[in-house]
Amino acid sequence: MTPDPASRLRRRLLGAAAALGLVALSQPLAAPGAAALELSGEPRIAFIYAATARDGGWNEALDNARLRVEAELGVTIPTVESVPEEATALKNAIDLLIRRGFNVIVGTTYGYSEGILEAAQENPGVAFVNASGATNSDNLEGFYVRSYEAWYLAGMAAASVSETGRVGILGGFPVGVVNWDVNAFALGAQAVNPEIDVIAVYTNSWWDPVREGAVTRAMLDQGADVIANNLSSSSPFVAAEEAGAKSIGFQLDMSQHAPNGHLTSVVFNWDQHLLPTLAALKDGTWEPNPWGAFPSMADGVVALSPVSDLVPAEVRALIEETADAIKAGTFSPFDGPIHAQDGRVVIPEGTRIDDAGLWGMDFLVRGVTGTLN
Amino acid sequence: MTLAFLTAWAGAVPGYMTPLLLASIGLILCERAGVLNLGIEGIMAGAAMAGAVAALAGLQPARALAAGTGAGLLVSVPFIIAVVVFRAPMIPAGLALVAIGLGASGALGRAAAHKNFAGLGNVGFPEALTGLPLVGRMLFAQDAVVYLALIVAGRASFVLFRTRAGLQLRAVGEDPATADASGVDVQLHQLAACIVGCALIGLAGAYLSVVGSRTWTEGMVAGRGWIALALVVFAQWSPLRAIAGAAVFASADALIPRLQTLGVDVPVYLLSMLPYVLTIGVLVLFAALGWHRQGEPGHLGRAYIRQDR
Repeated sequence: MTPDPASRLRRRLLGAAAALGLVALSQPLAAPGAAALELSGEPRIAFIYAATARDGGWNEALDNARLRVEAELGVTIPTVESVPEEATALKNAIDLLIRRGFNVIVGTTYGYSEGILEAAQENPGVAFVNASGATNSDNLEGFYVRSYEAWYLAGMAAASVSETGRVGILGGFPVGVVNWDVNAFALGAQAVNPEIDVIAVYTNSWWDPVREGAVTRAMLDQGADVIANNLSSSSPFVAAEEAGAKSIGFQLDMSQHAPNGHLTSVVFNWDQHLLPTLAALKDGTWEPNPWGAFPSMADGVVALSPVSDLVPAEVRALIEETADAIKAGTFSPFDGPIHAQDGRVVIPEGTRIDDAGLWGMDFLVRGVTGTLN
Repeated sequence: MTLAFLTAWAGAVPGYMTPLLLASIGLILCERAGVLNLGIEGIMAGAAMAGAVAALAGLQPARALAAGTGAGLLVSVPFIIAVVVFRAPMIPAGLALVAIGLGASGALGRAAAHKNFAGLGNVGFPEALTGLPLVGRMLFAQDAVVYLALIVAGRASFVLFRTRAGLQLRAVGEDPATADASGVDVQLHQLAACIVGCALIGLAGAYLSVVGSRTWTEGMVAGRGWIALALVVFAQWSPLRAIAGAAVFASADALIPRLQTLGVDVPVYLLSMLPYVLTIGVLVLFAALGWHRQGEPGHLGRAYIRQDR
């Protein structure tokens, strides 16, 4: 008697479940070794993006790094674009790349954190790195950068040119990585003008140029004459230019969007992080940091684009000096005492914020007009 | 709140209101003819992209708006053919249109992303008018499309409720079998309503890029099409009430960033729900008052096939 289709299906499902069970059982046997990752061959690198690579902001900064790595190493690095921030879709893309022989996978968004961790566990011979990723393992390292260091300098530039004594900054969502930029910007501005009024507005979106333009116009109506854009669309620059206001960009050099009022941009140079990582991978000495890589301005991964002549020469010199102090480690924007908006001390005098404090930053500093919502 | 704050707030309302108003009038025309158009988000996305591409190619803002409007119509063609000519189910056809519009605009607009262009400026009223307290900026410091949208609302209302063509259009949406029996060409009326309606939706999308942001990025419509769908219900399928509805929704939208810049702790997520909450509120209110189906076309969303009569 031939089995009916239903029972055949059931048997197949049972087989699959058994296979999964075996995988689950074998998992703890693979001891988490502290040894450096041994790649199966020469590094073959591929990038995966959640949207188009040339997006004028976050992805484009990473893609510029990809091009520089290509030039530096003399290799071709293909990209996969518009892979949704969802584990199944991401793992499909990764599987395809691995089957085609790629053994270094570069993810580019926080949204890949979970999927890329699963892929890393399933492919122990492949190296994974993920920009702004929150997961790490034996062969996966998330990386971000101490962007607040450069935002502090940008705040100094902003305050030095403000005639109204009021500057604005637009952010996306009130999460640690945005809050530290906003706070550092405010602290830098206060270093130049202690009375400066910093308006911070979160748009609760990474992508809404219409709203970003409207928020910018609202800030200009309130008397702000410098607009710092912690997001990537160009509409805040357009609105600022129209009103004759100054502006500060992020991620890429945004001077093309604001030919008259652009002061400087906080720019990422991810190649400065990727090149050493790839060199270590090639030498077989790469050991992912269990807390993720967190390079700084001293590593060249974040920097200020050339500061405009609109900024007074003595302030430009001060920015230079402060940058050197930050790089040397003698100064950090979050050296105490730092007060929150309500006046309570969040970083006591004589202490410096630690990385946990940075990632969990859930306050705005004194002197900022705005709320975390 | 100071007078300056109120003046600035009022001045920002029309800019938020115009795309919502144009899109909802477009929807009202489609829906009054019985065609439920859930594809609006996709149409607006295509139009926003095309408007930006046209402006970047050096077209005058008015022509860029026209190009965007045409592109919106072009994106809608498969939907219109599917539901009007082949009487395909409207809900899946509309949702497919969303995917097509968002996908196509993202793929085709790639080279145009994040580039600035001049965009449409304000109508040049004298300083004496634009400088008026409270209403000066709201009434006089606006672009031409703001005034056009109000005229369109008036025209649409007149045509729908004061002309024979409008009566026939509403008859088609209300009871296509009866309209058909009395000699009204159901498909022709639906076709006309969809063409004009989708063109208006296209204009709304083009407004977002050509006037609103003066730059284009993927996904910039950001759910405004869905808000227009709620607005239609809120306005009970009346173009004139849509003016009021769009003004209410836009006032809240314009208020949020302004309160934020003052440091007021605004419940952003609650305010973002406002369009939907108000819409449900209106539905509940009308149900409670016993005014069932105030303006809702009786045959909305269902295909009419003569043999089924």
